[in-house]
Amino acid sequence: MSDAILRRVRPEQFREFILLFVTVGLLLFFASQIPNYFDPRSVNRLTTGLAITLVVAVGQVLVVLTRNIDLSVSSMVGLTAYVVGTILTRVEGMHPLVAAALAMAIGLALGAINGLIVAYGKVPAIIATLGTLALYRVVLVEFSGAKTVTTADLPDWLNDVPSATLASAGGYDLRLMVGIALLVAILGQLTLRYLPFGRRLYAIGSNPEAARTAGLPVQRDVFTAFALSGTLSGLAGFMFLVRFGNITVTAAQGLELQVVAAVVVGGVNIFGGSGSMVGALLGVLMIETLQQSLLRWAGISEFVKDAILGLLILVAVTADTIILGRLREMWVRVRRRDHARAQVAIADEGGVAHGA
Amino acid sequence: MGERGIGCVLVPTVLSWRPSEINTTDRVPTAGSWLPGFGTGDANGMIQPATERRLDDEVVATGEEFPVLKMEHVSKQFGATLALDDVSLALRRGEIHALLGENGAGKSTLIKIMTGIQTQDSGEIRIDGKPVRVTSSQDAQRLGVAAIYQEPMIFPDLSVAENIFIGHRNRGKLVDRRGMEREAAEVLARLDVTLDVGEPARGLTLAEQQTVEIAKAISLDVRVLIMDEPTASLSAHEVQQLFRIVHTLRQQGVAILFISHRMEEVFEIADRVTILRDGRWISTTPRAELTPGSAIRQMVGREVQELFRRSRREPGAVLLAVRGLCREGVFQDVSFDLRAGEVLGFAGLVGAGRTDMALALFGISPADAGEIELEGSRVTITNPRDAMALGIAYSTEDRRQLGLVMPLSIAANISLPSLPRFLSPSGMVRRAEERDAAEAFRERLSIRAPSVETPTSSLSGGNQQKVVISKWLETNPKVLILDEPTRGIDVGAKVEVHQLIDDLAARGMAIILISSDLPEVLAMSDRVLVMREGRQMAIFDHHEATQERVLSAAMGQFGDILPEGDGIDRIAAAEAITAIDRLVAGGRLVDGERQ
Repeated sequence: MSDAILRRVRPEQFREFILLFVTVGLLLFFASQIPNYFDPRSVNRLTTGLAITLVVAVGQVLVVLTRNIDLSVSSMVGLTAYVVGTILTRVEGMHPLVAAALAMAIGLALGAINGLIVAYGKVPAIIATLGTLALYRVVLVEFSGAKTVTTADLPDWLNDVPSATLASAGGYDLRLMVGIALLVAILGQLTLRYLPFGRRLYAIGSNPEAARTAGLPVQRDVFTAFALSGTLSGLAGFMFLVRFGNITVTAAQGLELQVVAAVVVGGVNIFGGSGSMVGALLGVLMIETLQQSLLRWAGISEFVKDAILGLLILVAVTADTIILGRLREMWVRVRRRDHARAQVAIADEGGVAHGA
Repeated sequence: MGERGIGCVLVPTVLSWRPSEINTTDRVPTAGSWLPGFGTGDANGMIQPATERRLDDEVVATGEEFPVLKMEHVSKQFGATLALDDVSLALRRGEIHALLGENGAGKSTLIKIMTGIQTQDSGEIRIDGKPVRVTSSQDAQRLGVAAIYQEPMIFPDLSVAENIFIGHRNRGKLVDRRGMEREAAEVLARLDVTLDVGEPARGLTLAEQQTVEIAKAISLDVRVLIMDEPTASLSAHEVQQLFRIVHTLRQQGVAILFISHRMEEVFEIADRVTILRDGRWISTTPRAELTPGSAIRQMVGREVQELFRRSRREPGAVLLAVRGLCREGVFQDVSFDLRAGEVLGFAGLVGAGRTDMALALFGISPADAGEIELEGSRVTITNPRDAMALGIAYSTEDRRQLGLVMPLSIAANISLPSLPRFLSPSGMVRRAEERDAAEAFRERLSIRAPSVETPTSSLSGGNQQKVVISKWLETNPKVLILDEPTRGIDVGAKVEVHQLIDDLAARGMAIILISSDLPEVLAMSDRVLVMREGRQMAIFDHHEATQERVLSAAMGQFGDILPEGDGIDRIAAAEAITAIDRLVAGGRLVDGERQ
């Protein structure tokens, strides 16, 4: 690759281009395979599905950046969806915003439990959240008595939300839910880029020991990341309820793998320290496209679909390690050479001046 | 920062210090014995005013009577061991205070207490005379106490600027990237260093990472900077760059606590020297009143007869012949013969390609051109298995990460590379044999541990090093490559390792000794091969290898710019180094373009 490109583009940005490129390629491929691929109805369905995954992924990025992982997201989504759904069937006239706030509060509480166990209990995140993944699900089963929340029992406004549209062009809608998800992603990206908290998340994941010796509030920040992941899962739970209406005890099961896959494919380092919301957005876009397109592609079984997803994660992580490593080396080399050149130029000037 | 041509003008006075000085017997400072209980009287300069030498006029009248940081009667106990026993220490504004002691003498504990990682059981810390409690890193930071370590504590994914400012509070609600980068450049400029502040720290050299850490500390208005073996992984040239920065800080009034196992560095840079032994304060002495010999005696509490031992011996037949060995972009055209019973030293700056050369011989990153002959027949080495089958062993420079499986026992570590020999016909490890083999090494190398079942993680650095060497000796190598075998280990263990090297050579083993400790590599080697930037610069016989020659070969081809002899013309040397510096920067350019 030419030096000129390397001077302008960071390796991470380059990776995001590749991801976008591959996703567009996939879209074109499926368009050629599936009739009416780009009709407004399908596209709208894809974007709405994407919205829920994206909100959870934003929370997951915060956690993964700190060299942790939150596997309990799907149970948190399911549990909040069910609990809020049940409350809505019993309490008349609850304001939609109150319902959303309630969902986020439940998520916050569940996330805070994760955060306490990981940050203060010093239990490895993968174990702790594997535990709460099962635990929250069991709470859901017990709470529900294996009953289902049905659309018919829910207030009418709830059924209108999924089709609420912010803007529309030729049948393609920007749905309210997609708008919320994008807003969450943008806020997430701004947090990472401009808030000291965001910067600290990178630092903690990049070198936890150094973060402690630098006097950073490591425990508090890790706790906050988990709490935020829970809160966003709560919000996603509310969106889940709104979208599907019918909530069973298996609601959102398996979402955690999809989210982790999206985040990793989007270039967030599973060992913490690097990644962005833009990457996560692209990862979600790709995973969701693939997932939903494979569903519609005739002749593909559920198992093959899962296999393809698994393969994708492997390819993404492997390619990431190899390609990004190379790119980084090249990038550093070019920058250093330019820097050295500048130094020599300065030294030469100094030398001339000295000689004269 | 090393090769950037920043115009280093510090003269390496290390050149004028000779290992032989250590053997001279000087008076043993008596401060410890006649001061009642502890050394604060000495430390705050009240008792021996006449002997206090002003080392730098710029720090006159900066309140020597009121040390910035004072530790009084500090004790700390871990289980049954008393890590610190009634230790007192005072650091003054603008002084470089060296802390000497063998591993386990209590230096690390002292630092941890100062930086709030641990809290003392009893005793007091005073800052500006006021008692303070330091119970966390945040406390230490707020009080202006910072530490940098041998392994820099950097964030590889963050940029240089972000690394510098990560610990800052009260920098507003939002991160101002441009402003931060500008300020980072200013802080670095105060250290007279230029770095690309936007570059991620993972691309920096170790020396540069350290500079970033120092910048981080001074950006936080540090008043006490603790440097824990900052030079252990640096090349001689980088050490001089670091010292230049340390001097700058000292002139700005920072109190520096400097810890190093390299005696010559302590004597080059320190204003005062405090010695600890077995958790107790032994003495605090102005540098001028201390000699390396007396310092070592106080550290070990016994006479060290010889720091370096090398018996006379006649090398045998050529065992290993290397011709034109290359690895693209790493090193090129290395050729040498290694005889049985010979110690061949590899000298050079860190990053000169010495370790890469060893890794090629051991097959970890194989050479891509050139020939290797072992006992007269041509061999190909493409992985460590090949190398071990041929009787080549390589003891790594990074014993913690690469040399040992820390949680495993001494015995399990020693048997690891030769495990097939310890298997029963059914494929199980014969633990009794394993233990016996380990026991033999424990005795032979005097590895100090309760038993061979002790996990290596609980051993001191010196004993860990002995386990690493044992593990390779167990493979019965013909050629043993030792990469920095004495780095970060205490003086006593160093002597034992040197003795071992000498014994092994006397028994006919061919040894390659890679060391950044110049006096060591010169004293121990029959011949010294010098590398610079991946190229072989020279091979000196033992009697020709002077520090000046080796160093100048390591830094460029300017052997004749540096005058010979002990009394080096400081200005000439400084000019030579500046010239070399710029050429090195130029050489880097050429290398970069070729790739």
